[in-house]
Formats: sequence, structure tokens, C-alpha cells
Amino acid sequence: MITLGHYLILSGIIFSVGIVGVTTNRNVLKILLSLELLLAASNLSFVAFSKFNGDYTGQLIVFFVILVAAAEVAVGLAIIVLMYRRLATIQADDLKELKW
Amino acid sequence: MSISSYFFYFFAAVLVTASLCVVLARNPLYNVLSLVVAIFSLSSLFVLLEAYFVGIILLLVYAGAVLVFFLFVVMCLNLNAETSSPPLEHGRLRVLGWTCGLSFLSFFILGVKSFLAAQAAVEPSSIRGTIETIGKILFTDYLLPFELTSLLLLIGVFGIVSLAKGALSTGTEEADQ
Repeated sequence: MITLGHYLILSGIIFSVGIVGVTTNRNVLKILLSLELLLAASNLSFVAFSKFNGDYTGQLIVFFVILVAAAEVAVGLAIIVLMYRRLATIQADDLKELKW
Repeated sequence: MSISSYFFYFFAAVLVTASLCVVLARNPLYNVLSLVVAIFSLSSLFVLLEAYFVGIILLLVYAGAVLVFFLFVVMCLNLNAETSSPPLEHGRLRVLGWTCGLSFLSFFILGVKSFLAAQAAVEPSSIRGTIETIGKILFTDYLLPFELTSLLLLIGVFGIVSLAKGALSTGTEEADQ
């Protein structure tokens, strides 16, 4: 029998993998992908709590999180393309100046 | 063990492996493609939890739109493994990141254990997140946040257009100079 704890521990594993990705990668694109992992992990725990508490609110929050993540990714990728045009690199370490 | 337990363990294993690939693979193309695999198995887990609507939205929006956008950017910028992953001289940062992630995981598991010990065993309820049930709540109780989301997406579109226009105008100025 799969309990709430199984889902929560799975989402914790995914979240910590995402934290490792955000902190160790220096490529801005990979940092953005790891942020997607963090969002996916929290979505999983929201849906699991919704199922085990008998409340639809968790699933609605996941719906809104997906929409916000879509907007966030669009803006983030636009900034990455802009950064590549200006600096010809997408390493986070090369962003040293406050003004272009 | 019922058949849904086997499905849970299978999709959980695929999800963990794919997310490790997202973080550890060198080529950005493999990162994006393994995130597609991770999103597919996450959506299967949502279906196991009987959240059908959210599962299909996750597939359509994430695997269908967002990750294709990622792939488009990776191919457009022509990033290959050598230019995007120089040998990491940040050994200290790497160690710090792994300790951060692993300590978060151990604290999280301890927290989950004490949380589950504090309450009686919860049985899964019989709610089913179909389009009908979710849509009813979305268009009654959550109507205002739902409409505000469209405003958010509109602001996102404005932001992207202004970023792209700024890039184009500075590009022509540099060409003029």
C-alpha cells in the first residue's frame, strides 16, 4: 500500500536533486532546468496532500503553479538569449558587471 | 502488493533517475530531454493519485510547450558540451552544493517521519480530479485568481516583446556604429 509518506519522500528526493542542480551548475540554462525540478517536486507533494486530505485545493494550486512556471520560463529564456547575444556565453560567472 | 504499488515504484525510479540526469548530464540537450522523461513520469504519478486534469495539463504545458521552448533555445544558441561545461574549478562550491542538498534531504525525511508519526494513518480519499470537478471549483471559488492568471501571462508577453525589441534596437545601433 502506497501511503502519503512515500509520495512526500519521493518529492523530497526530487527537491534535493533540484537544490544540488541549482547550487552546483554554473550554466544559466541548467539552473533554470533545475528550478523546474524544484517546482515539479512541490507540485507532487501538493497533489499527494490533496488526494490524502480529500480536498481539491491542492490540485488547483498545482494548476496555477504550472501557469506561473510557463510565464517564468518564457521570460527566463528571453533573458538567456539576450545574455548570449551580449556576452556570447551563458555561464553565470561571466555576469560580473552591474551595468552592460 | 497491488499493481498500483508496482506502478508507483516504477515511475518513482524513472523520475529519480531522470532528474539526476537533468542535474548531472554534460550536454544541455540531454538535460532538457531527461526533464521531458521526468515530467512524463510525474504526470503518470498524478494519474495514479487520480488527479487526471492536472496530469494532462502538466503534459500539455510542460512537455508540449515549455520543454520544446527549452530545446529551441538550446539548438538556437548552438550550445555544445565543450563550450557549456568547462572543467569545474569550483570544487568548493560543488562540495557545498552536495552537502546542502543531502542535509536538506535528511532533515526532510526526519520531518516527514515525525509528521506521519504524529497523526493516524491516512487512507487515500475518493476524490477524483477530473475536468468536471476541477472546472466547477475553478469557475466558482477561484474565478478571480483564474482571471488574474491571464493578466500575468499578458504581462509576460509584454516583457518578452520589450526584451526582444530592446535587443533588436541596440543591435542596429551597434551595427550603425
